[in-house]
Amino acid sequence: MVVFVLVLLGLAGWANWQNRRQAAAAALAKQSQVVLVPDNATSSTGGDAGIGHMSSPLVGKRAPAFTLTNLKGEKVSLADYKGKAVQLNFWATWCAPCKIETPWLVELEKQYSPQGFEILGVSFDDLDKDDPKLLAKEKVDIAKSVAQLHISYPVLLDGDSIAKSYGDGDVYPTSYFVDRSGTIVGATFGLTSKDDLEGNIRKALAGGTLQAGLGKGTR
Amino acid sequence: MNRFIVLQLSLALAALPLAAQVPQEDSQSRADSSKAGAKPAAVTYLFPEQITVTADKSAVVDLHFKVANGLHVNSHTPHSDYLIPTTLKLPDSNGVRLANATFPPGADYAFAINPQEKLSVYTGEFVIHAELVASRGNHLVEGTLHYQACNNESCMPPHSIPVAIDVIAK
Repeated sequence: MVVFVLVLLGLAGWANWQNRRQAAAAALAKQSQVVLVPDNATSSTGGDAGIGHMSSPLVGKRAPAFTLTNLKGEKVSLADYKGKAVQLNFWATWCAPCKIETPWLVELEKQYSPQGFEILGVSFDDLDKDDPKLLAKEKVDIAKSVAQLHISYPVLLDGDSIAKSYGDGDVYPTSYFVDRSGTIVGATFGLTSKDDLEGNIRKALAGGTLQAGLGKGTR
Repeated sequence: MNRFIVLQLSLALAALPLAAQVPQEDSQSRADSSKAGAKPAAVTYLFPEQITVTADKSAVVDLHFKVANGLHVNSHTPHSDYLIPTTLKLPDSNGVRLANATFPPGADYAFAINPQEKLSVYTGEFVIHAELVASRGNHLVEGTLHYQACNNESCMPPHSIPVAIDVIAK
């Protein structure tokens, strides 16, 4: 009987530890969620369900590390861009406002790349990983769209797989601006102006130093 | 008796951490559901919830939907291949078949920053004329409306909502 009670108490303790661990994980996940902030002054959506303007608690923090595959099937990690200022541009082929800002991004990337600036386009188009034929077609469609838009910077696939670590905003386009030390110094949600994007790029270029650089996977 | 008391005590001790967790989860889920208001569905199915039709004969039913204020969804025939059209689907094996669906024409819409490129969209309420054929009996049909919504500056991922209709075929 004593053994039985001890086992039961042990199980209770284990259950308690599991619950605490899950609660801690949930709290951690919530920390990185984007937060909807009403912007009545500028919103013209009339807004029952407007996507709205957002702020991100990720600003000021290390950019979450990731490794994704580009259109050529090569693996690309954020850590590969150690020491550079990077704009992560979350977009999708079905996103009309994303296509409006793309020509600005192409121009800005050309303009600022000599100073150490890079853009990584991250596609949030659905990928049917269980259906090889459909998956191949989806990749071709994304590549076609990239060609049509004259995108010259790398485009990475399967953005959904990193959505959670970047706040699961479900708003496109979204951009995070990462300085040379791997810290997110700015974020834009939705279509903004070329000037606004450029301001964030300059901030990313100005922030951080090579000395503060990163090891692989630390971004 | 002693054994019973020990067992009761053990169960009570074992339940302690769970009992402590329950109110926490309840308050958490309440907080989450209140937050859920921040991201409501862009499109709502309005009506009908129930229809009566003649068995094995085609019947046209008007399905009413509402797009939330400030948002638009692509029409069934968007102007560009890369845009995701609004579509309606009914499950195959339910005793009710969607023989045809007539969607309303979309209204032209352009982002202020790019007025040249016109999109074809639904805003506010829209109606799909669905031609249904049902076998005799009562059928609870759970169709889906698939759409992709945007506001005037950003887009949300494609989404599906249930279209539940109680079909009585006599």
